[in-house]
Amino acid sequence: MCSVGDDFDNQTEKLMQKATLTKLSDTCNKCRAEKPCIVLRGKDTYCKNCFLINTVHKFKASLGKSRLIHLNDRVLVWYQIGHPSVALLHFLRTGLDLSTPKKLRFHPIILFVYDQYQLNNKEGKELIENAKRIVSSFGFDCNFISFADYVSNPENVPNLLNSESLFAENDIEKLNLVIHKTSSRTNRNDIKSLLRKKLLIDVAKYWKCKFVFTPEISIDIASNLLSNISLGRGSHVSIDTGFCDDRDDEVRILKPLRQFDMKELALYNNFNRLESLSVRKSAVNPYSSVQDLMAKFVIELQKDFPATVTTIVKTGDKLSLDKNAEVKCKLCKGPVSVSDDLVTSQQSTNFSRFVSNELVDCNKSRQERFSTICNKFDQTNNENELLCYSCTRIYGNFML
Amino acid sequence: MKITVEFSGGAELLFNNKKSHDVDLPDKDTNWTIANLLLWIKDNLLQERPELFLQDNSVRPGILVLVNDTDWELLGCLDYKIEPRDKIIFISTLHGG
Ligand SMILES: [Zn+2]
Ligand SMILES: [Zn+2]
Repeated sequence: MCSVGDDFDNQTEKLMQKATLTKLSDTCNKCRAEKPCIVLRGKDTYCKNCFLINTVHKFKASLGKSRLIHLNDRVLVWYQIGHPSVALLHFLRTGLDLSTPKKLRFHPIILFVYDQYQLNNKEGKELIENAKRIVSSFGFDCNFISFADYVSNPENVPNLLNSESLFAENDIEKLNLVIHKTSSRTNRNDIKSLLRKKLLIDVAKYWKCKFVFTPEISIDIASNLLSNISLGRGSHVSIDTGFCDDRDDEVRILKPLRQFDMKELALYNNFNRLESLSVRKSAVNPYSSVQDLMAKFVIELQKDFPATVTTIVKTGDKLSLDKNAEVKCKLCKGPVSVSDDLVTSQQSTNFSRFVSNELVDCNKSRQERFSTICNKFDQTNNENELLCYSCTRIYGNFML
Repeated sequence: MKITVEFSGGAELLFNNKKSHDVDLPDKDTNWTIANLLLWIKDNLLQERPELFLQDNSVRPGILVLVNDTDWELLGCLDYKIEPRDKIIFISTLHGG
């Protein structure tokens, strides 16, 4: 009889704390004086003042700790739909306007990537107008690029930036020409995020930005981390979900909001009277892709166990890159594990797939059959050598 | 009883894109709670797809509720007794409807 589950049941209490219904504190956790107005992680209460100070401080600390950005560096900021991006713009504006030594001293350049293909013409125009209005309310210029146009012609970045037409009726066809229609939704999501990253890096290079800020928050990090592991990108977790993605030689992608909860940023925006960008969304079946399923899994676990996201993110932070990997995957630029004598799990998986698809020539001796198949495997394997395990899965699903 | 109800963060898309609503709740024998208000909103304000706003007799997960700028979790959530001139805000964190 299987008893694995039974043991686990008895221990869950020790593993992660369940959402409790205990009485919340009557005073702010920080100043211990004021009446609280917000509850975070189901237990920590803060007054408005402490909450706002804390939130800004947390942002500064995330940038400060890294010490990566220098005086007058140019930073491309990916502005997206939702609360996190608006909070990010506000952090940047208030940080730039400071007259204390804590003043931010770099130059943000804001980019909105249009990829909302469920919207009609009127809604699309409205979205772009709203994006422009919100970004300019912070004293920044909003730059635009069409994702579909970039994907069809990645070499053309200079002409695509701030082009008159940001969306067209045939956008989905343009995407389908590049990403094969037959690809699963999981693979399409994976390919799109690869291409989006490439877009940000290409634009950053064109505008001579050394850094890109992306607005992922803790829950995105947690679900990306689990998706990564399920898709065989486990060895890339630390660069995909860590603070700094430095796999490109010139441009680093930073995630300055990765420690924030959605509630923190939504209420930060509310208290500062900031308007966020929202759109009509098409319903997504959570079972249609690994990424959607992981997001659903994390969100639902978080409801009953408020420490879920922090636990996953902290566990991810303990993972680091294989420093010995010198070969970079030609698609995602992540490290490819190559070992001289030890066979990696990736190689074994490839080998058994290869062997199972080969016909056996019974006229040959066992030894001969073995060496023939090994030679043939080595030959075909060389073609895939420059791909990481996960990218071999999507390679061929799209054109570069 | 006159109160103000606000929708933001994309929740307003379910209410004709109107963010602020001045509402006059009809008199009733017992206190008005948020639980009662949600049903009233469903019948009187909600324009489309109630499942994007309500779930299991409460707000859908991902919608935050503030009463006079205070988290409803500090006020008893669904059981909070509404007072005249309260301002109740529903903030969607789902970025749209
Ligand atoms: Zn306080
Ligand atoms: Zn790869």
